[in-house]
Formats: sequence, structure tokens, C-alpha cells
Amino acid sequence: MFKQFLENAEGNQGYLLSSLAIFLVFFILVGVFVLTMKKEEIKYMSELPLNDENNERGS
Amino acid sequence: MTEKFYYDNKTVRNFAIATVVWGIVGMTVGLLAAMQLFKPEMNMGTQYTTFGRIRPLHTNAVIFAFVGNAIFMGVYYSLQRLLKARMFSDVLSKIHFWGWQLIIVATAITLPLGLTTSHEYAEMEWPIDIGITLIWVVFGINMFGTIFKRREKHMYVAIWFYIATFITVAVLHIVNSVELPISAFKSYYIYAGVQDALVQWWYGHNAVAFFLTTPYLGMMYYYLPKMANRPVYSYKLSILHFWSLIFIYIWAGPHHLLYTSLPSWVQSLSTVFSIMLIAPSWGGMINGLLTLRGAWDKVRVDPTLKFMVVGITCYGMATFEGPMLALKQINSIAHYTDWIVAHVHVGALGWNGFLTFAILYWLIPRIYNTSLYSVKLASFHFWIGTLGIIFYAVPLYFAGFTQGLMWKEFTPEGLLKYPNFLETLRQILPMYMMRALGGTLYLSGVIVMSYNLIKTMAAGSLVADEAAEASPLPSVFVPQGTDKKWHRFLERKPLLFLALSLVVILIGGMVEMMPTFTIKSNIPTITSVKPYSPLELQGRDLYIREGCVNCHSQMIRPFRSETERYGEYSKAGEFVYDHPFLWGSKRTGPDLQREGGKYGNAWHYNHLFDPQTMSPGSIMPPYEWLIDQQLDTTTTRSKITAMRSLGVPYETGYELLANAELEKQAKNIAEDLKQNNIKVKSDREIIAIVAYLQRLGTDIKAK
Repeated sequence: MFKQFLENAEGNQGYLLSSLAIFLVFFILVGVFVLTMKKEEIKYMSELPLNDENNERGS
Repeated sequence: MTEKFYYDNKTVRNFAIATVVWGIVGMTVGLLAAMQLFKPEMNMGTQYTTFGRIRPLHTNAVIFAFVGNAIFMGVYYSLQRLLKARMFSDVLSKIHFWGWQLIIVATAITLPLGLTTSHEYAEMEWPIDIGITLIWVVFGINMFGTIFKRREKHMYVAIWFYIATFITVAVLHIVNSVELPISAFKSYYIYAGVQDALVQWWYGHNAVAFFLTTPYLGMMYYYLPKMANRPVYSYKLSILHFWSLIFIYIWAGPHHLLYTSLPSWVQSLSTVFSIMLIAPSWGGMINGLLTLRGAWDKVRVDPTLKFMVVGITCYGMATFEGPMLALKQINSIAHYTDWIVAHVHVGALGWNGFLTFAILYWLIPRIYNTSLYSVKLASFHFWIGTLGIIFYAVPLYFAGFTQGLMWKEFTPEGLLKYPNFLETLRQILPMYMMRALGGTLYLSGVIVMSYNLIKTMAAGSLVADEAAEASPLPSVFVPQGTDKKWHRFLERKPLLFLALSLVVILIGGMVEMMPTFTIKSNIPTITSVKPYSPLELQGRDLYIREGCVNCHSQMIRPFRSETERYGEYSKAGEFVYDHPFLWGSKRTGPDLQREGGKYGNAWHYNHLFDPQTMSPGSIMPPYEWLIDQQLDTTTTRSKITAMRSLGVPYETGYELLANAELEKQAKNIAEDLKQNNIKVKSDREIIAIVAYLQRLGTDIKAK
């Protein structure tokens, strides 16, 4: 399917390929960051909305 | 040591009331527009209530008045609690609220008056555009002020969505509103033709992304865990899909322009990114639905969760369908038909509508310190609303398929099977009636909700300032445990976060727009294409005023089915003097790009006066006032001057001769009409609009 897009791009494949490359790099960076997050960190963050009616909670 | 402070619930309440009131108004106007499509009498015979002016009123009312107020309601409530701080400034909250209502009222007055820029979902003229910018900045200051004085160190993912919404909408609105004013309520976009189309759909698509999607995802991430009383399914997924979503969305805008005169590499780029968009969109949907794991028993009894589940499911369906529609093969059938209208409404009624209702049912009892007046009525609302969506969408999908295929059908001899456009329209009129029924059901649900909420409010009393306590943040940040990570650093620096989001959303727009604006070969010029005559230019502005673009495209795609029906396909170079472009996005009537010379002046005169006499069964409203009203020629001079400064090659000094030339051309048309037994003064508006219609597409027409 992607081959068809490349053919349709009419000599402007450069735009397409560099765009995909930019996204890929960006995606990998975010991916690496997410994978290196610690479990307790995730737990703390995900419970933020539930904790907001407790007026006092430690961090 | 804790600090005592108060959450501002009054502003939240005000936005909630505005949401409901404008929701009813916007949907009622939508219902009117829906009925006009099968009963032309519903245009009510006045220029202020014709479909061309009512349809933009509906879209802007539901997007900016209903959904806009709902966003502010949802953000003002959740932001304060997630940050453990009152909104930054009560004065700014007040200015924000009343300023936004003023913008809505100004829009509701000007659009029926025909004061429009014709850019879809941005029809408001330049003074209102400036108002929107100012109030949006007020909202931004109020939000960032709150973030700066927060008592919670970290920013929850919902707030990232709010920040991305703020910055992207600001960029979209400003770039899409660069207009040259020629009077208090008339302006021309500085972009022309293909470039204008690219800017408009970059804006239009991302208004869907950053006004109808990201703030709602933020709200989903706050309210769904609250309602289900459990944290979001995967916080990691929320980070991944946030960054991917805001990165990819921006690239997909040109999929609204497939097969048009837009350079094909931009089209291909948008298709690829549209397909990729499924992943982050579904990341959000899956994260939402899986948050309810182990809580599905609650869904059975709690109407707020029912609304959430159907709303999120609709989001999943619409975001799967969108990329499918961005495939060229599917787009060639679906584009210009009611399929697109159905697609949009699954998102609007399901995702935006249902999430808004869920939040209203959850939030109003809380800020009024009471419980919901009737859970039964809320459940009834849920069912009638769901039924409304089904009755709305299914017939329109059917109508879209039917008409799209009929347009393309050939006889074995190689002729169009349905050469008369009207035949394809008549086929789908029953579907339009069903759609109006769906809209009626949905609106009835909203009215039931209003009653339920009013009763709830009456039973409780507003806790205008809700007491809370929290420790202030230490003035010097001491990293603890896991705090060293760069993203955590970013989270603590909201402005840096804002800047990074801005960079991410700018990349896509730049790659697509810069080459289209700067490389000449992207828009090849055609020497025979000349600027409009003064009369045609005035006629074009009447075409814009009447909102003809809402039903008639001016873009013939390079298919045999279209060139057979309408004539030579459209070239990029034909639109270089079109400020704004008028390609349109829906064909309720036929394309008009090659309308010039197809019929005589008398045909157009009679057709505009009473369309049914020339095309029996037509659903086009009559435009009698064009015959009564005198053309305002005092603006000709400033229009020509403005066009010249935008690059249209009118000679210096031409503005002084323009009106004489205008009168000459008008007299010729009036004379021609006289020969056909039509007596009309040459200074009437109808003469100008006929002149424009007769000019359309003739620049490169084979003689």
C-alpha cells in the first residue's frame, strides 16, 4: 500500500520519507521515555485525579 | 503546614448554563437546516433564514458556543482541582465568560446578515476574529496563571491536553484569519486559491483535532476516572498517545482536498499521516474503555458512565472512519456527499455531545451539593440520544453511498446514467427526512436533560466557593526519588512544555505549507486566467454573502464521471485571483466551476427568482431579494484597491474607472434580459451575481 503512495508522490518522495523519519525519531524518543518511567511514578501520576478531594496528601 | 483556599465553582456553573442554552439554540438551528433540505419552504422566504446563512450559524453555534462553553466548564472545574489552586484571577474568569458569550452573540447576529468570510468553521468577519483572539489570550493567561501558582508539583496528563489545545487553537486561528479589511464587516483573505484552500483545511481539520478532540480527551482523562472511581488504565499509554496525536494530527488536513488542484505530494503526505492517526486515536479510546475494566457493573446503573461508554465508542468509530475516508479510492465516492456529514455527526453527537452530557450530569449535583433530580430521566436521555444518533447517521451513510455511486454510474453506451443532478438528489430526500427525525430525538433528549438539571439546581444551592486545603510547593525544588527524569522536569516547567508542544505541532504545517507557498512550480500559472471584472467581483461577494458555497462546489475532480457532467477538470492556476477560494466541500447542488456560458442570462435570472420553475423538484431556496436590492457600488473602489495590494494585477488607477466599467457590463446584461422579456434595472444585485456565474470557469474553456 505504501508503495502506491510513494509512486503517487511524483518525484516528491523526499517530503514523505523525511516526514516519516522525523516522526519515527520523535516516536522512539517518547517511547524510550515512557519505557524508562518508574512504576511508583506512574502510580502517583495516574492517581492524581482521584486524590484531589483529599485536601492533604504527601508526595 | 497547609494553606486554606477556595475553588471557584461559580464560573464553572456559568459555563455549564451557557453550554446547555447554546446547545439547545445550536441544535435547533441545525434541525431547521435539516428540514430546509427536504422542505424548501422552511427557508421562510427571507434572506436571513436561507440555508446558505443558517448552516454556518449551526456549525459555529454547536462548535464554538456549545462545545466551546463545555470545554471551559470542564477545564475550569478540573484544572483547579488537579492543581490544588483557585483559578488565577476572578476578573479574568469573568472577562473570559462574558467575552465568549459576546462573541457568540455577535456571530449569531452577523452570520444571518450575510457578513461572512466563507472559510468553513471560521465564517466570522475580522472584528469578531480579533475578539476571539483576545478572549483566547485571556483564557490562556488565566490557565497558565493557575498552573504557576499551583500546589501540586506535577501536571496530570489532562493538563497537557489543555495546554496543547490552547497553543494550537491560537496558532490555527491566527494563521487562518489573516485578512485585509475593506470595511467594518468585510475583508479578503490574503491567501488565494490553492494556498487559501490549504490554509483553510489545515485549520478546519485541526479545529476538529484541537477544539473537538484534545480538550475532550483531557476531560475524559479527568472525569472518567472520577466517575468510575479508579485510575486511568494506562498512564504510559496516555503519554505515548498524547505526543503522537498532536504530532500526527497536524499533517492530515489536506486529506480534505484529495483529487483537487492541490499538489499531489501534499495529498499523499496527508493520506499516509491520516492512516497513522488511527494508532494514537485508538490509544485514547482503548485507554478510556479499559479504565472501566472491573467497573462494567456500574455502567449498567450509572447514566453518566453510559454516556461515557457510547461517547468514547463513537470517538473510536469516527477516528477509524476518518483515515478510511482519507484513502483516495474511498474519498472519490464519499467526498461531496452526505457520508461526510454522517461521519462528522457521529463524532459531534456521540463524542462531544455525550461526553458533555455525562460531565454535566456528574458536575452539576456536585457544585450544588445535592444529588441528581432524576436518574431515570437521565437514562431516558441516554436512550433517546443514542437512538437520535442512529437515526441521524445511518440514513445519511445510505444517502452518501447512493448519491456518490449514482454520480459515477455510466450506461453501457458510455453516457452518464443520471445526467440530471436533481435525479440523484431526489433519490435521497427520504433519507434527509429520517435525518431530521434523528435530530429531533437527539434535541428532545437535551431538553429533558435541561429540565433534569434545572430541577437539580433548584433542589440544592450553589457552593460558589468550595473550601479546600493543601500544602504550598516549596520555593526551591528538591528532586526526590524519581524526579530526575527529563520529562518530569518538563512537567514542572509549563512554559517549556508549551514551547515543545508548539514545536511539535508546527513541524507538520511547515512541511506542507512552506513549499506550496514558496515554490512556484506547485501552482503553475495560466496566461488566459484574468482578474474578475468589477461587476463579477461584486457578484462574487454576493455569492459569498448568500453562502452558495455551502451547497455548490467549484472544484471538478479529474474523473470521467465529473468531466462528463461538469466539463474540464479544475487546474490550480485557475484560482490564483480567488480571495477567498470557493471550492466548497459538499454538493447538495451541482458543481458550478464551469457554469459560465452553460445557460443564458435569462435562465439564471429565472432560476434565482424561483428555482423550481427552471428545475422542477429543486430544493434550492428562491432569492427574490437579489432583484429588489440595489447593488452597493460604493465599495468597488476599495475592493479593487484591496485586491491589487493582495497581488491581483489590476492596473494602477483602475479603481477610479471600475464603477464605469461595472455599469457598462451591467447594462449589457440588463439589455440581454430585456430581449428575453425580463425587465430589470441594471443596478440590481441579481445582475452582478449573474455576471459572476457567467464568468465561472470560462478562462480556460474551449470555445
